Amino acid sequence: MALAIRKSTFSILATARCIVPREFRGLSSLPETKEDVAQDVAKRSTGRKIRFQNPALEYRHVYPEFLPDPNPKWRNTLREKMERADMLKRRSQIDIPEFYVACENQSVTDLYRTYKTLTYIYPVSSPTSFEPFIRVSGTGIISRTGSVAHYSLDEGPPKGSKLVSDDTRYIYVKLKPKPWLERWERQELKGVANIDEHLKEKDKVRRELRKTPWEKYDLMKQYRKTIPAEDQNEIWGEVHNQLNQLRLSRKKMFKKRPVSAPKTQLA
Amino acid sequence: MNQAQVTKLVSKLRINVAAEPRRLRSPKGPEGRLNKLRKTVTGLIKYERIELNYNRGDEARQYAERLISEAITHGDCHKPTMEIADYWLLEKELVHKLFKVLVPRYENCNTAYTRMYKAPRPQYSRNTEKAVLELRGNPYPPLVNKQHNNRHLIQNILLDAAKYDYRQAKYAEMAD
Amino acid sequence: MKLPISQLSQFIIRQSNKKAFLSIRCLSTQEATERRHHLFTLEKKRQLELVGRIEKIEVKYKGLPQECTLVMNKDISTPYDCAKHLGEWHMESSALALLDSSVHWDMHRPLSESCTLEFQTFNIAEPQQVNKAFWRTCSLVLGACASVAFKDNVTVKLHSFPGPDIRSGSFIYDVDLPTLPDWQPTQQELHTLSAEYVKLTRRNDLIERLEVGEALALEMFSDNEHKTKQIPDIAKANGKVTLYRVGNHVDISKGPLISSTGQIGKVTVSSVHKLLGSSESDVKQLYRFQGVALPTGAILNHFAFSILTDRAKKLVRLYKLLL
Repeated sequence: MALAIRKSTFSILATARCIVPREFRGLSSLPETKEDVAQDVAKRSTGRKIRFQNPALEYRHVYPEFLPDPNPKWRNTLREKMERADMLKRRSQIDIPEFYVACENQSVTDLYRTYKTLTYIYPVSSPTSFEPFIRVSGTGIISRTGSVAHYSLDEGPPKGSKLVSDDTRYIYVKLKPKPWLERWERQELKGVANIDEHLKEKDKVRRELRKTPWEKYDLMKQYRKTIPAEDQNEIWGEVHNQLNQLRLSRKKMFKKRPVSAPKTQLA
Repeated sequence: MNQAQVTKLVSKLRINVAAEPRRLRSPKGPEGRLNKLRKTVTGLIKYERIELNYNRGDEARQYAERLISEAITHGDCHKPTMEIADYWLLEKELVHKLFKVLVPRYENCNTAYTRMYKAPRPQYSRNTEKAVLELRGNPYPPLVNKQHNNRHLIQNILLDAAKYDYRQAKYAEMAD
Repeated sequence: MKLPISQLSQFIIRQSNKKAFLSIRCLSTQEATERRHHLFTLEKKRQLELVGRIEKIEVKYKGLPQECTLVMNKDISTPYDCAKHLGEWHMESSALALLDSSVHWDMHRPLSESCTLEFQTFNIAEPQQVNKAFWRTCSLVLGACASVAFKDNVTVKLHSFPGPDIRSGSFIYDVDLPTLPDWQPTQQELHTLSAEYVKLTRRNDLIERLEVGEALALEMFSDNEHKTKQIPDIAKANGKVTLYRVGNHVDISKGPLISSTGQIGKVTVSSVHKLLGSSESDVKQLYRFQGVALPTGAILNHFAFSILTDRAKKLVRLYKLLL
């Protein structure tokens, strides 16, 4: 069950933009703007890399639920095709939001996943851009990639945090004193201030000892956790047309209804 | 149900990849396992054909294929790929070989980049399966003499003649 | 007309049973075979003794595992002996030897001068000559099989076999069975013939070559009138007739044959057809034995092989009779 943050069509007000600072890039793999995408694409020139240039591949950030479980024991192409068709049908009837921004306490269940939303995030990006989000208001930094889940309960609302304007502001979150849900000091989190003041000597020593610097070079570990680009191209090829139509219809609906400014709430 | 990770895009490997990684016992644990595999992958890139035990060869093959596919997709200038190549190839000239020699060789290749054969076990030795792991396009003479496409082999001549005969008979039949 | 008989045969004949000498035309197939085999052995021994002082020749071997120069005996060492120096795999897999990249040589034929040697298996890129040698060997062994398979009261007179034509689908031996004017082999009989053939191949006999003079050849084949008619034509070129021996069976053939019968793998004697000679020829009728075979190691599934056997059952018509 992934704890995802979902954008609801009914409760969004795009009041301001949060431009995500560069260091938080570590939590998200998307480039900052669309121009970066084009530049990256232009760099990879030769033949085999064409399969990485498919723009539909960007959907993996928005709709990761369409990707099957990477464990080969449980892969079944026919069953996955049927599941995807089923999911599309469901999305045409119920509005299951995209993987963008937090909404209030909504819980939507898809085939194997329950999307439980935490608290509201503001600011909010527009429905059409693929900007990475960073949750700002006091309830935990959550990465879109799902590598860091949540530490919402452990932090308090950041003091002095406010809605930002178009200028870049770095927002750091402070952690409440221990006990914590997870060992945040051992995870490479960015955007957390003052983690060290909550640590004992022993924690610091153990953190050094427990580090696994070789893991980032373990190519097969990464491979076994991901769906390869060729398979993803097939999946998005099947699915992206309909999803595009859904979001266009959602946009229309969104434009029709006026939306009031939501309030922050703790999860 | 595990969620597939989306940070990194990987290219599909064209070899059979087992569901579980092999542990390859070593005193340092997972780090030792990667060290062993590093040495094997370095050796493979250096010598282009190596003989080793089957299990280690199979694991190293997966990593070698992944390394080469990363090098092909991201190329020379991509920093994370350079770091990965730097980690995996213990001799730094081999990093140059990877990007300057192997990437052009395998760029337009539709098949796997390595080949693995099972090798005969020496007599009166331990009962470990042996393998020969080689890069495709290596300069040595081929290990296997696959001749089944050779139309001059006697079974192919006989079959081709039989096919010809059958066709002639069919045409004659159809003409009637 | 008295046939010129060599000194050696005179000696044999005097020593052997007088009755056998008088009834030389009435020897049973078995006894004739034994006689030929005996004569072959003696002639071979004689030729070996003729060599005299042993001279050395340098044979440059090209191929795997590595190129090397072997010092062998002139007129005594064969390519098979060179293979023995290299290893068992070379001994077993080589079917033909290639001298100086041009001359195809039997594996058991003595080398007479320094040369470059390569071994040819069935798996090389251009195996046309090896295939022909294989087909010739199969025909020869078919003759041996035919002479062994019949009961003692049936005389078997081997006529000849034509040059190898693999595309025809089967190897051929024309046999004269004077005691069987009308014979239609049943399925069971064909199976028995195939079984006899397989028995011969499983004995793994080496195929030895010998060049003999016309006189001795005529002596050896004196019981077989067809062969005695063919020998003068064969010997016209240089007065020599090439004989090959497989186990006990000796026969005449022109070209190189493969190394041993063990290299013949899956084999079937597929059919026997009756050929009627024209009224002018001496031969009134012949039985054409046909079969199909694959070398050992050639992998073909049983259905594909059945296609080949079905095709081999059809009569192969030839327009030239060659040896």
